[in-house]
Amino acid sequence: MSVVAPTAPDLAALLDEVWSSLVGAPDELALGGPPPDCSTLWSATVTITGEWRAMVSLDLGDPVVLAVTRAMLGFAEDEVPDVASCTDAIGELANIVGGNVKSLMPGPSVLSLPVVFHGPVQVPSELAASTDLHLSWYGAPLRVRVLTPSS
Amino acid sequence: MKIVVADDSRVMRQIVIRTLRQAGHGGHEVLEAENGRQAVELVQTEKPDLVLSDWNMPEMNGIDALRVLRGAGNDIPFGFVTSEGSEAMRQRAEQAGAAFLIAKPFTPEAFDDALASVGVRP
Repeated sequence: MSVVAPTAPDLAALLDEVWSSLVGAPDELALGGPPPDCSTLWSATVTITGEWRAMVSLDLGDPVVLAVTRAMLGFAEDEVPDVASCTDAIGELANIVGGNVKSLMPGPSVLSLPVVFHGPVQVPSELAASTDLHLSWYGAPLRVRVLTPSS
Repeated sequence: MKIVVADDSRVMRQIVIRTLRQAGHGGHEVLEAENGRQAVELVQTEKPDLVLSDWNMPEMNGIDALRVLRGAGNDIPFGFVTSEGSEAMRQRAEQAGAAFLIAKPFTPEAFDDALASVGVRP
């Protein structure tokens, strides 16, 4: 059987590495939990095209977006990052997760620049979640999906 | 020493600069570029000692910036700091004339090793 997408444990290990290196407090990342609340949702996506095609999507609620941005920029806990910084930070997270996912799969393929939405991403109808990882960080939910062509 | 850090993400440029400091390389002058074209311009005008560049950027990507520099006869040490660390990408980087490729996520030790490989010391 051919490999269609990285597994949930692959993604969980990758997220642990990203948090250890760039965000901090990887021990606070826990598996499971509900999806982030749609009313405060941010989504960051990258697409991979070529021999293997996919969209990699990160969904995070406001609390995680603010905390991640603060951590990545080295801000104090009482500093509030602006929208541009939040967009930049979670776009970069999507870029890193997407680039690492791309490296796990057959190539050659091309990684897009990240796109960040303040709200849920509209997933193209031909894509379906091959891997859907629900996590929490300090108890606040986040979700990572790898969406691949369904046919 | 003078180092150009090229990345379209301001957050990532700051993380790279912070990681350089954590790796003991806080004493270097750092010049920031938002894309490959700005990096090429900075190399031509500021004569830095090293370029640390993202691969995937708007306007001009990192490998095109490297090709422009090498095409102009510029042999400045050039390393990638990118989310794509596969063997295929490493080979493409090396063939284009890059000295190293640091994959994101990274550690300060990875930076220190990479910089040491091109003779840049703390």
